[in-house]
Amino acid sequence: MSPIELDVRNLKVSFSTPQGNFSAINGISFQLHKGETLALVGESGCGKTVSALSILRLLPELPAKITSGEIIYSGKNLLSLNAKEMRKIRGEEISMIFQDPMTSLNPVLTIGEQLIETLLQHKSLNKKEALLKSSQLLGKVELPSPEEKIKQYPHQLSGGMRQRVMIAMALACEPKILIADEPTTALDVLIQAQILDLLENLKRESGMSMLLITHDLGVVSEIAERVMVMYAGDEIETGPTKSLLKNPNHPYTKGLVSSRPHLGINRKKEPRLTEIPGNVPNPNQRPTGCSFHPRCNWVMEKCKTQKPISETLNPNRQYSCHLDPGTI
Amino acid sequence: MTSYNSFLEVRNLKKFFPSKNSFLAKNINWVRAVDGISFILKEGETLGLVGESGSGKSTAARALLRLETPTSGSAYFKGQNLADLSELELRSLRKEMQMIFQDPFSSINPRRKIGEVLSEPFAIHGLKENVHESVTELLNQVGLSPEHAQRYPHEMSGGQLQRVGIARAIALNPSLVVADEPVSALDVSVQAQVVNLMMDLKEKLGISYLFISHDMGVVEYFCDRVAVMYLGKIVEIASSEEIYKRPGHPYTEALLNAVPGLELEKKKRNLKVRGDIPDSANPPHGCSFHTRCPIKEKQCEEMEPALKEVASGHQVACFLK
Repeated sequence: MSPIELDVRNLKVSFSTPQGNFSAINGISFQLHKGETLALVGESGCGKTVSALSILRLLPELPAKITSGEIIYSGKNLLSLNAKEMRKIRGEEISMIFQDPMTSLNPVLTIGEQLIETLLQHKSLNKKEALLKSSQLLGKVELPSPEEKIKQYPHQLSGGMRQRVMIAMALACEPKILIADEPTTALDVLIQAQILDLLENLKRESGMSMLLITHDLGVVSEIAERVMVMYAGDEIETGPTKSLLKNPNHPYTKGLVSSRPHLGINRKKEPRLTEIPGNVPNPNQRPTGCSFHPRCNWVMEKCKTQKPISETLNPNRQYSCHLDPGTI
Repeated sequence: MTSYNSFLEVRNLKKFFPSKNSFLAKNINWVRAVDGISFILKEGETLGLVGESGSGKSTAARALLRLETPTSGSAYFKGQNLADLSELELRSLRKEMQMIFQDPFSSINPRRKIGEVLSEPFAIHGLKENVHESVTELLNQVGLSPEHAQRYPHEMSGGQLQRVGIARAIALNPSLVVADEPVSALDVSVQAQVVNLMMDLKEKLGISYLFISHDMGVVEYFCDRVAVMYLGKIVEIASSEEIYKRPGHPYTEALLNAVPGLELEKKKRNLKVRGDIPDSANPPHGCSFHTRCPIKEKQCEEMEPALKEVASGHQVACFLK
C-alpha cells in the first residue's frame, strides 16, 4: 500500500453542555494513504463530521474539546500546532467541502470574489492573476461559461453548480488531502452522479487523497477504496470496500448493507426489507458495553457490559465485536 | 371511455404559478409546474411518482388533493371530481385522502404532545367518542407505545416521529394516502422500518398509496407501478418491474443508472446526463429533455413527443422508442 498521508491515533472528542459532558468520539484511529479514498460511514450523530472537523481544528473550543489523541500529517501533530501554523495547513495542504453548498458560500459576494480570497491568502498572486486563475479553476470543475460565472452570486447558480464552485475553491491551492463531508447529499441523483465523477477525475489527475464522509453505502461503493464504519462515536469496522460490503463482520455493517432496497430486488421474493430495530441512541444517553447492543440481533450477555476492542483479522480488516468472524 | 369508475383518475391536470421578473414587469411569466398529467390509480395499488426536484411531483400531488387549486384539469376520486367540489364537500372527503410529509419535525406541531396531535383529526371531523382509545390503538398500529402520547416531538427521534406522521395520516381510515418522500429525511437504519410499516398498513387497512420519491431503489421495491416526471410532464409510466427491466425513456434510464449501486453489477448502457434541470418558467422547445439527453436527434428539438404505448401498460414519451 502507498505511504500514509494522514494518521489519526486514538482521537477522543467530548462536548460540554448544560446537561453535562458527553463524549462524541470515543477513541478512533485510522490511516489515510496517499492517493486513496477512505470513506467514513455512519448515521447522523455517529461522530463522522466531528472527526473531520477535528482534523482541520475547526471545532469550536467551547463546547468541543479534543481530550486525547494525535493527528499526524507530514511528521507533525496537527493538534499541537499554533493558530498561524494551522492556517498554513488549512486550504493549502488539507481542504474541505461541505454538504450544503448554499450555506457554505457567502451569499453577498460574487463567486469570483470568494475564489480569489483563497488564492490571495495562500499564493503570491495579484488580483488580476487571481481572477484569471479563478476562471481556470471553474473550467477545471466543468462549470459552463466560467468567465460569466465569476461575476455571478451564489443564488444565481443551481445546487450542482454551487457544489462545483465549492470544489474549485477547495482545490485552488492543490491540497494533498480533500475532506468531502456529504458532498452530494443535498443534490439530486443525476447531479450526484456528475459530482462523484468529477471528484474521481480530479483525484486521479492530482493524486490527492480523499476522506469522504457519507451515510450512503451506495456512494461508498462507487468511489471509495476503503471504508470505516462508525456508530455512536466508535469505530465499528474497517476494510477494503468490496470485501467489507460483501462479508461484513459487524452486525451493524451487515444491517446497513441489507436494509437498503437496491435495484432489482423483488417484492415477491423479499416481502419485507431487513430492518435494524430501534433508533440511533442520543449522544448523552449512550448504552453501556457495546453501544450497538440494544439494536443487535446477536446480542450476548457480555455485550451489555464489556466494550469490544478493535480486532485485526488480516492486515486490512478490523472490527470491534464480541462475535467471532464469519458468525453473521 | 368517459366512465370515471376508477378509484383515482387524473386527467390533464395543470398547475401554473405566476412569476414576474420585476415588480414593474407587465408580462406575467407562468411557471408550468404541472403541465397536463394524466394517470389512473387503482384501488389497493401503489403508484410511484419519481423525478428530480423541480419536476413537479409534489405540486402534482398537492393539486390533485386540492391543497393547491389546479389551473385546469380534473381529478376523479371515487367518481367525484375533486376540482369541482365546494370547500365543505371537500372537507368531508378529506377523511378519505391523507398525506404523509417528508420531514416530520416540520410537519408536526412542536408545541403539542403526540396525543394531542393524534386526537386532532377526530376533533376536526366531529368524532368525539373514544378518542383516547383510538389514539392508543393508533400508536400501537405504528409500533409505538401508549406512553408516547405524553411526549413532545423534540423528545422523539426522526424515525419515531415519522411513525406519528403516519399514525396521523391513517387516523380516519383513509383509502388514499399520498406519501411525499416519507423516508428521505430519515437515518438509513430506520428507513427500512418505515417502508415495512407502510407495507404492513397497506395490507391491513387496504390503503392505496401515491408514493413520491426521487429514490429509484425504494420506488422500485415499494410500488406496483411507476410514473416518471420531468418538467411537469409524465415521460414514462409502467409497472415497476417493466421500468427496471426495460426503461423506455433515456431520462428513466439515466435515473436508474445514477442510483449508486451496492450490487456492483455491470450496467447495460451507461447513459450520462449533462447539466441541470431547466427552469420550468422557460422550458426548452420540443422534447423538454433534449437539452440534457445523450441520444437526442434533430426532431427532438423541434417537436414534442406524446406518450405512446410501447407494450401493454407501458407508455413512453420519446421519439426514439
